[in-house]
Amino acid sequence: MKYHLITLGCQMNLSDSERVSAVLEQMGYERTEKEEDATLLGMLACSVRQKPIDKVYNKIAQWNKWKNKRNVITFISGCVLPADKEKFLKLFDLIFPMSELSQLPDMIRNYGVVNAASLQTPKPVMPKNEHIVDLWHIKPKYESTYEAFVPIQNGCDKFCAFCAVPYTRGREVSRPSEEIIKEIQHLVQQGYKSITLLGQNVNSYGLDKNGEEITFAELLKQIGQYGKLSGEEFWVYFTSPHPQDMTRDVIEVIAEYKCLAKQIHLPMQSGDEKVLIKMNRRHSMEKYRRIVSDIRELIPEATLFTDIIVGFTAEGEEEFQNTVAAMNEFKFNMAYIAMYSPRPGAASYRWQDEVSQDVKKDRYHRLSETMRTHTSEYNRQLVGKTFRLLVNGSDRKTGFSTGLTEGKLNVRLDRKAPELKGQIVDVKITSAADFSLSGELVLQEEKIES
Amino acid sequence: MSTEVMQAIRIDETFYKVKEIRRLTDETFSLKLPGGRFKFKAGQHISLGIQGDYQSREYSIYSGENDENLEVLVKEVKEGYFSPKLSHLKKGDLVEVNGPFGKFKIEEKHIPDNKFVFIASGTGIAPFRSMVRTYPELDYQLIHGVRYGHEAYDKEEYDPERHILCTTGDKEGQVHGRLTKYLKRTSFEKNTHFYLCGNSNMIFDALEILKNKGFDRDHIHCEVYF
Ligand SMILES: Cc1cc2nc3c(=O)[nH]c(=O)nc-3n(C[C@H](O)[C@H](O)[C@H](O)COP(=O)(O)OP(=O)(O)OC[C@H]3O[C@@H](n4cnc5c(N)ncnc54)[C@H](O)[C@@H]3O)c2cc1C
Ligand code: SF4
Repeated sequence: MKYHLITLGCQMNLSDSERVSAVLEQMGYERTEKEEDATLLGMLACSVRQKPIDKVYNKIAQWNKWKNKRNVITFISGCVLPADKEKFLKLFDLIFPMSELSQLPDMIRNYGVVNAASLQTPKPVMPKNEHIVDLWHIKPKYESTYEAFVPIQNGCDKFCAFCAVPYTRGREVSRPSEEIIKEIQHLVQQGYKSITLLGQNVNSYGLDKNGEEITFAELLKQIGQYGKLSGEEFWVYFTSPHPQDMTRDVIEVIAEYKCLAKQIHLPMQSGDEKVLIKMNRRHSMEKYRRIVSDIRELIPEATLFTDIIVGFTAEGEEEFQNTVAAMNEFKFNMAYIAMYSPRPGAASYRWQDEVSQDVKKDRYHRLSETMRTHTSEYNRQLVGKTFRLLVNGSDRKTGFSTGLTEGKLNVRLDRKAPELKGQIVDVKITSAADFSLSGELVLQEEKIES
Repeated sequence: MSTEVMQAIRIDETFYKVKEIRRLTDETFSLKLPGGRFKFKAGQHISLGIQGDYQSREYSIYSGENDENLEVLVKEVKEGYFSPKLSHLKKGDLVEVNGPFGKFKIEEKHIPDNKFVFIASGTGIAPFRSMVRTYPELDYQLIHGVRYGHEAYDKEEYDPERHILCTTGDKEGQVHGRLTKYLKRTSFEKNTHFYLCGNSNMIFDALEILKNKGFDRDHIHCEVYF
């Protein structure tokens, strides 16, 4: 009894897929990477972008052809817009929101009795998330032995004009803090080194519970205190926070506790006030500037990552220049730059996509170039310094081991050391490139001598 | 509980029977639905769907927090997809309501010591009616920009001293011209919170004027419709 699972989209879906695997494996299914061998074929979809949706349609067309020869069951879950859900109902055998994952075994067992048509509703409704806690009770089957993602919240109440997530994932619901802390303790005891708290708006954690749950700052503090007590070395990250709900106390807590990684991913999306308004981001550049200034003051060593969209409706050259100016001001260590493309389900999908593809491409390149000058300058001043490095893979060309610093800077080591994968080691930076670093492993003996 | 049963319960919760369509102009109407099924804050919006249609759109809540009915104010966009469908609804038809959503609301602790200036274009007046109906003690001024005087939706509900109508297409408003003309020539007190709602071009222009007048960006709240 084998299953094959395809996960599309963001880290949230990846984290959910670990729970789907756990449920299926408890039923006795064994995972296979060869879809031809599987009798159960599933997908965690992402309606938020067009490409993954195209992939879903291609895959299911192929799987449905196999049905003539083999007895297979297909299912789909994840981030699905109502309009896609309607179409999927006709293509997949089973479709369910993640909050109802605990019922998947029943759905599979009863398949033949319960079929897609009997699960069909007159109109697919927005996920209500009342049952999301059931999902969190499912112990995930972690894909890695040293890096894990821990969901702390699901859904989003922000309604950025370019984003469909509030429609696919429903309202913000926070996971009980005791459960989160327990999962983290368990991971640390198992030797996990990098733990990322996941949510669409991690820093509005607890706000949906009207005072009955701790705040995000308090949650981080409890994790920090546990880290201190445990004596273990591990790094806790979070993604993504929203500038609107970012408070100074969150930054103070990160500064105070060693296990809270000194890397902050703070999506900016645009450096222009008007574009931010049209994007419905609900924070001003002043607010963004205040947060960055708090980070620089309290955690000067922190690296700063961001997300930026170029070519959004209402972005003329002047507005784009404000984003370039913001890039020059904040000197991000990494900016995930995306060219705007209207996403079905989002409010801006109905607005005219005013900026041509050529202009978007040009802005993308210009902004990437601006970022490059800053990352290159930053990386160069790291040469000669020693960092802790989590070894996580190897360079495709040379086979030399690679890893990430606590600040999530990529470093290539001077040797092949597969035995170090998943360990935190010392590395001395020997050279710097625009977006990566090279370094030599500092062996324990050398450390003692020096 | 089976998935089917659970989904059936959800459908009951989100579907509402239209109680009334109240025509305000040829193009604009208010859709009345039964109220009281969920709590909301004045200024928030809902997402509205029509049974059998897979699209939905956002609409600010036009009624007050304690009103008997849940109301939205809709302008029929002639080339639009959804608003013409809403316009053809009849009493008893089913619509799907999700929400409430959004952060465009008043901090109640600010009410006693602050002034509120509401700046709206067209149906952007909707959240302000909800606020005015919810907080009778509010020290507010409502600046409403429309083309013609008859588009001053439910004008009689507002204190005439607090309601400034700006019309570009006729001379029925106190101000003949865009609302930005009024904003430029008016001075506001320091302890004022500004709420801007409607089309983005109006919001950008008004924001610029207010910033130039020295108002703190944190005291200027915006809700963009398009
Ligand atoms: C948070 C939020 C709250 C909203 N609240 C309201 C509300 O209270 N009342 C309301 O009428 N609309 C409101 N809207 C707009 C509404 O959601 C729809 O966009 C509108 O009804 C048009 O939908 P449509 O399918 O008919 O047009 P579409 O086919 O989607 O065409 C969209 C185009 O219609 C035009 N348009 C959109 N809204 C308006 C409008 N209000 N007046 C004039 N032209 C418009 C714009 O040019 C826009 O690009 C709100 C939008 C948002 C994001
Ligand atoms: S905060 Fe904005 S971008 Fe992030 S998930 Fe919510 S709506 Fe989407």
